[in-house]
Amino acid sequence: MPARYTKFYLDKRNAKWLGVCSGIADYTGLDITLVRVAAVLLTVVGGFPWTLFAYWITAWLASDKPLELEDMSREDQRFWQKARVTPGHSVRDVRSSFRDIDRRLGDLEVYYTSHNRRLADEIDSLR
Amino acid sequence: MEDVFLPIVICGMLFIGLPWVGLHYITQWKRARGLSVEDENLLDGLHDLARRLEDRLATIERIVSADDPNWRPSVPDRAERGGRELGRDFNRDADDWHGRA
Repeated sequence: MPARYTKFYLDKRNAKWLGVCSGIADYTGLDITLVRVAAVLLTVVGGFPWTLFAYWITAWLASDKPLELEDMSREDQRFWQKARVTPGHSVRDVRSSFRDIDRRLGDLEVYYTSHNRRLADEIDSLR
Repeated sequence: MEDVFLPIVICGMLFIGLPWVGLHYITQWKRARGLSVEDENLLDGLHDLARRLEDRLATIERIVSADDPNWRPSVPDRAERGGRELGRDFNRDADDWHGRA
């Protein structure tokens, strides 16, 4: 099965116990300590057997994070954490960065065709 | 007083807060499921390509501005960019005017 960017995986590398909390933190981009404290608080406050069951079932059902996803850069991780929640926004972000590139390239082109006399002459001679 | 309030608060958290959070994330996951494997790979490729193109463009812009310091002293900040473009248009107009004269 191929590695998916939008799938929940256990994060064994940063695991305290079975890697569920670290997986949640990795998936959502929340702070890992916050997730753990919330899980422990939930257990203490009243979810005692159920949170543990949920934890075990999650650890049993979810698979480990594949190797190719382990060594993503920070920037990529953040990109995919956003893409999991709102894929549309990420698509629009990528499009806007392409537009930005296009505009800057256009600037360069204008500069080289209007300010650089020598290049302009060369282009004219090619016509 | 506390004996009355504490159970209410806890019940509220357990029976309203938790399902709320759960349902919220379920709807978000459903929306995220809109990305198929191909979509993901495509998005990943495009994101990567955009970043590499931006890096190269930044290099070229650095070279050009080293070549001609007047061209663009600093890089991209939205407000600044607007000002710079205005300035350049003005320069271009001035060039045209000189050309005609």
